[in-house]
Amino acid sequence: MSAARLALASALVLGLAGCDEEPFDRNAQIGPDPKLPEQKQYLVPPMRVAPVVRWQDGATPSVPSDLRVQAFATGLAHPRFVYTLPNGDVLAVEAQSPGIEPTERPKDVIMGWMQSYATGGGSPGPTNRITLLRDADGDGTPEVRTLFIDHLNSPFGVALVGSDLYVAATDALLRFPYREGETSITEPPTVLTELPGGPIDHHWTKSLAASPDGSKLYVGVGSNSNIVENGLEAEQWRAAIWEVDRATGAHRIYAGGLRNPTALAFEPQSKVLWAVVNERDELGPNLVPDYLTSVKDGAFYGWPYSYWGQHVDPRVEPKRPDIVASAIAPDYSLSSHVAPLGLVFVTGNGNGLPGKYAGGVFVGEHGSWDRPEFNGYKVVFVPFANGKPNGKAEDVVTGFLDADDQARGRPVGVVLDRTGALLVADDVGNTVRRVSASGAPTEAAQR
Amino acid sequence: MIQANPASTARIAGHPIHPMLVPFPIVCFTGALLTDIAYARTADIMWSNFSAWLLVAGIVMGVLAALAGLIDFISNRRIRAQKPAWPHLLGNLVVLALALWNNFVHSRDAWTSVMPTGLILSALTVAVMLVTAWLGGSLVYRHGVGVAE
Repeated sequence: MSAARLALASALVLGLAGCDEEPFDRNAQIGPDPKLPEQKQYLVPPMRVAPVVRWQDGATPSVPSDLRVQAFATGLAHPRFVYTLPNGDVLAVEAQSPGIEPTERPKDVIMGWMQSYATGGGSPGPTNRITLLRDADGDGTPEVRTLFIDHLNSPFGVALVGSDLYVAATDALLRFPYREGETSITEPPTVLTELPGGPIDHHWTKSLAASPDGSKLYVGVGSNSNIVENGLEAEQWRAAIWEVDRATGAHRIYAGGLRNPTALAFEPQSKVLWAVVNERDELGPNLVPDYLTSVKDGAFYGWPYSYWGQHVDPRVEPKRPDIVASAIAPDYSLSSHVAPLGLVFVTGNGNGLPGKYAGGVFVGEHGSWDRPEFNGYKVVFVPFANGKPNGKAEDVVTGFLDADDQARGRPVGVVLDRTGALLVADDVGNTVRRVSASGAPTEAAQR
Repeated sequence: MIQANPASTARIAGHPIHPMLVPFPIVCFTGALLTDIAYARTADIMWSNFSAWLLVAGIVMGVLAALAGLIDFISNRRIRAQKPAWPHLLGNLVVLALALWNNFVHSRDAWTSVMPTGLILSALTVAVMLVTAWLGGSLVYRHGVGVAE
């Protein structure tokens, strides 16, 4: 990536975006009732992308003193999602964008440069596959590492129901036969249902969760644009959570108006579906907040016409006040442009984490590009009580940006391992890290 | 005594470069106004994409045309002395400034990339360009700038 290009881009940003942003307390956008500033329309929206340095000289993420962090697996190729099988084996889904989005406008050329800069550019080696990691002795260092499933089309979500392993590729929900303990699957999959992939495939990740009774699958399908700049017709069946019948593949839109629902999870007590959603860009550094929400059957959450209830987005034409009127506000704001991509409820299976985390959620925040001051680039914890968020989000895993605001890594998917410790995928640092109670079950690895 | 025509400096085999390049921005900016109008009437994103490409092509070719014109302007005192020369130069700087602004407006997403600011800028660009192109025509067809003897 050319430094000259970046310098040029920065000069444009500084010259045209205006540096006189009003101070804004990001804490005012964490919780159920975020402060929403006035919309702005830019000549050049504020953009800031962290240059990639990766984890060097033994640098590791930072955690509070009652936790410790280990590298569970390194040298992966864009690990985006992690999943724990019943026998404790961990699946790391390695994936990258299908890269089929056409250049429709001059702007797409610029955004393409930005994106390659944000990921550090270059090829990570073979990806779009799932790697199995087995840490049978529970010391936090897997002794078995195998290529579990290969040749997938930009996979993201994974869910196991009985002996059926579902993988959400960008264009299809696939079912593989799984036998406990096996370390590789070579049988071809069955397509349970096709999913909206190309053309364009702007938001390509398909998140996945199975209902607690195993009868339904829920698939998060992101929009095909930031804000319908590829036309409304490109958004058919998108910006929604699908409910797919596991037996027949029949599907319907369970909830809509969710711009990019990147992670889904069921709250264990109430058995209600929750999601984290990435909201729209280019209305300002503090618009629109990304959020965590329970997902109501049949509900509409605003995209593209409005956000956070009835806040109308002027960029969408034709106007649809009738649809805007039906939009409901989400439950909990995570603040703007943090890019939540991972979500897991702490179910208290094991003592891998201190008890204070029980019942709440961890959210992996990939980090911002669309604001002058970085936001996200960390894993946060949101406490829950009675199936609802109960208190401010707190930082748990940080240090993904170094002191010079360079990216060592960017957190994506989060999951608990069989001991109840937290696993965090990092698709820039190409690692999976394990966060556990300091002094708890992995004493052996301390030495 | 009849004076010779003021000669062009930036030329290829006796043909001035400036008038070779000038049609590009004129056509592109006029086309962008038409595609903006089509988008305003239909909200079909295809038209706004056309506008964005036309504005980029227009400003790139417009800057090249301006450079060739500027060389002629700077190199020949007799060109500068023609009455329409300064208004033609300054007016076209306004055209390029409006088009640059318009390029950034058109880099927004969807409706507000055109409505209302983009459409207004496209119309202003074409309005100013009508005057400056007329002045450029005067320089050549009435004052003989760059015309061979």
